[in-house]
Amino acid sequence: MTTPAAAPATYEIRLLGHLDTRWAERLGISDLTHDPDGTTLLSSIAADQAVLHGVLQRIRDLGLRLISVQRIDPNPQP
Amino acid sequence: MANPVIATKLRVPRLREDTVHRRRLLELLDDGAQSRLTLVSAPAGFGKTTLLVDWLATRKTAGRSVAWVSLDQTDNEAAAFWVHLVAAVGGAAKALGQALPALLPPDQLPGRNTTVGLLNALAALGGEIDVVLDDLHVIEDAALFEELTFFIEHLSDNVHVVLGTRADPPLPLARLRARGELTEIRAADLRFRPDEAASYFADTAHLTLGADEVEKLEQRTEGWIAALQLAALSMRGHTDIDEFVANFAGSDRYVVDYLVEEVLRDQPEDVREFLFGTAALSRFSAELCDAILGRKDGRATIDELYQKNLFIVALDDQRQWYRYHHLFADVLQAHMPPSERDRLPERHRQASLWFEQHGDRDEAIRHALAAPDFELAAQLIERAVPEMRQRRRVAMLRSSIEALPDALVRARPALSIGLVGPLLTAGITEGIAERLDDAERRLRASGDAALREFIGAIELYRSALAQMRGDMRVAEVHAQRVFELAPEEAYLERAGAAGFLGIVAWTQGDLDAAQRYWKDCSDGLLHIGYVADAISTIYARGQISIVQGRLGDAEEVLKRGLALAAERKGYSLPGSADLHVGMAEVDLCRGDFAAAHQHLTDSESIGLTGMPQFASRKLVIAALLACAENDLGEASVLLDDAARLSVGDFFPVVRPIAAMRARVAILQQDWPAVDRWRRASGVEPDLAQSYVREYELITLARHLLAKGDPLAAGALLDRLIPAAQSGGRYGVVAEIELLRALAWDAIGDGSAAQSSLRRALDLAEPEGWTRLFLDEGERCAKLLREAAKGKSGSAFARNLLGAFGVQQPMPRAQHPDLLEPLSDRELDVLRLLRSELSGPEIASELRVSLNTLRTHTKNIFEKLSVNSRRAAVRRAEEMNLLRSARTA
Repeated sequence: MTTPAAAPATYEIRLLGHLDTRWAERLGISDLTHDPDGTTLLSSIAADQAVLHGVLQRIRDLGLRLISVQRIDPNPQP
Repeated sequence: MANPVIATKLRVPRLREDTVHRRRLLELLDDGAQSRLTLVSAPAGFGKTTLLVDWLATRKTAGRSVAWVSLDQTDNEAAAFWVHLVAAVGGAAKALGQALPALLPPDQLPGRNTTVGLLNALAALGGEIDVVLDDLHVIEDAALFEELTFFIEHLSDNVHVVLGTRADPPLPLARLRARGELTEIRAADLRFRPDEAASYFADTAHLTLGADEVEKLEQRTEGWIAALQLAALSMRGHTDIDEFVANFAGSDRYVVDYLVEEVLRDQPEDVREFLFGTAALSRFSAELCDAILGRKDGRATIDELYQKNLFIVALDDQRQWYRYHHLFADVLQAHMPPSERDRLPERHRQASLWFEQHGDRDEAIRHALAAPDFELAAQLIERAVPEMRQRRRVAMLRSSIEALPDALVRARPALSIGLVGPLLTAGITEGIAERLDDAERRLRASGDAALREFIGAIELYRSALAQMRGDMRVAEVHAQRVFELAPEEAYLERAGAAGFLGIVAWTQGDLDAAQRYWKDCSDGLLHIGYVADAISTIYARGQISIVQGRLGDAEEVLKRGLALAAERKGYSLPGSADLHVGMAEVDLCRGDFAAAHQHLTDSESIGLTGMPQFASRKLVIAALLACAENDLGEASVLLDDAARLSVGDFFPVVRPIAAMRARVAILQQDWPAVDRWRRASGVEPDLAQSYVREYELITLARHLLAKGDPLAAGALLDRLIPAAQSGGRYGVVAEIELLRALAWDAIGDGSAAQSSLRRALDLAEPEGWTRLFLDEGERCAKLLREAAKGKSGSAFARNLLGAFGVQQPMPRAQHPDLLEPLSDRELDVLRLLRSELSGPEIASELRVSLNTLRTHTKNIFEKLSVNSRRAAVRRAEEMNLLRSARTA
């Protein structure tokens, strides 16, 4: 169940508003999509805890509204 | 040598004249100033700094002075953080017409001493002061927050602390909140209300907007001030404001993306180029902008940006240094067109060169790494290593070297070795041995001169690595190699090795060698200006001299240490207080009780600070003094406290407090207590001799002697003599010889007793060590009378006999009705009994356990013949016992 903090995992972050795609590079994220509900999904973020916190800190510093952070289970239960 | 204080960081930022004054928030801040701490916590762009600056202006007229620090990433380590805070408080003191004592010696890492010194200095300031730490979110170091917590919890009433931050700091906020000591202003408070937005657009931005438009803008931005400002800037370029507002309100885009694009579109080409070209600078001047942009209009452009309010912040009053609002800088960089992006590395390189030329190496390194131009960065960091090491900027050293590719680091042994110190400090040992071997191999390949320069550091780190593994033998071998291989001028490495070898020699009981090493260590440290470290080695040298029986040497070296501390004009040097404790012991050995008491009092004087063991050390000497003054009850209480306050350090424990306590029990003939100590310590007559057990074995001999078994005592003492002699521990030898004399006397061999006594007298006489004999009482006096007889009798013995006549040199003139005088400690307790404090509070005030306090109270009641606290206080006042307050 528990993953050590050192192990990288894949995360998705959802933000309120459409963030320009040019931010992907500055945030070090490859996958940035705009959803029709007015949110932005940053996906396939492969990160350990330190990197994840770094991204969250950048989001904080930009005054963006964080909606959710989710860890994507690599082996979903059937 | 001190960490450079960046003056602009201590300046309260300038407020624009057209700032919206926010009454409700200013009132909140005013109310909050009654509490200990105000926390202004909200994301970027909510006007935190502006609000604080506006508020401080009103505070100034109320006669308060301010210590302001704008923190940045480089402050995320103690060395930089406290230097800036101390400097800011110094500036505030100056504004009050006062000077702050010097708190941070240049070669010293800030520690609890600094914090306590700063707290005391703040308390001593005649005026009210607001301490503001802005942008606290850049601080992440846990240890730093621990220290900041201590600082905040111990503030005096004349100080109010304000923290501006984007994230709640790891301080005990819940506790402060519960105690009503915290005022919070958060994003919900800071956001512009519709009326404030309206007043902003009308009065500051000079835009005529309908209530409907204002409401739409307010909703779209959720009162986020940075966005409202951007909106105002965008609208200036628009003729159809209704259309602008409708488009903006209807868009899902991140507000800043939308608005920055609008604002940039309105700017002339040269202004846009300027903005993109300077966006990556954490601060800039006109001169710097001209240098990196290859233009000459830096001054004019900056003035224009400032006038247009394009998110530019003035950092000083001379209109020299500026920065962009953090949020704007970040967005500018994201919106940079590809052509500008391509030029970024070159601009960082130019900025790096400019900062290096203008003496700001931190910024130079930062820009070289950002370019990234690793070759340039490596060169700059290599030049900075010695300085960063001396200033203990461990975090900066580590993060900048680790930012380089490892291959490059390894190609430069100075960097590779420079990284080892910070890693070891952080407890990281993995890969270090290999890194050191690699560095040595490369140095060897580039020639003897290169190797010679670094071999000392390499061997010292190998020694440290072995110490961390607990392999002392290997550690010793590497430390020895530092001496063999490092050049004379590698003072720091040689001092480090000497300090370690000094401890090894001390632990093994080879005091001559220990003394030599420690002398090398302190001389080396003094040579390179590490006075604070040198002083803490000097205490150790005094201790070793005392065990060597060389009171004169001990006095000389301790006096030298005190002189060095005095030269440092009030810097709180850890260990300077311990020097007085060392002096007190010397005076005690010589029977000068008044001087010993004086030194113990002096050890707590302002500006002196002890090493971690200080509290315990001081109590130990106070106990020995009480013992010599025949107050055995007091001595045991003090020793119990000393044991409780004792903390481990690097020095070997050669005089365990439990054994000292047992010696007092022997004098009290409390045999069950002595037996308990023997069982607990495992000290038996057949225990193998070693220096670290020597004191305990002699204690055992004293026990045997006191119990009437002089044969066993004598046999044990005989066994201890050779090692003590070969280790140069003549103080110990003198004590053993004296005890042997007493044993021979008890056995009935008078001539053997006299020859032992004679040896003890010969060792003690040149040093004036009288207490050795006087503490033994009548049994010893009898032997001395024999030794003093006749023409060839010992003059020293005669002097000692004279001193026996005037025992108890400090009659305590307290009150004629008092049969037994109160001890100093009991008087301390009595004074606190007079206060409103509860028992546990008094115990904590005196730093004793509740049990100890009860013992004291019981004794006081007995001596005063009372049975309640109130009666005790009344009786003490009648007898005038509390008139002379002793400074605690």
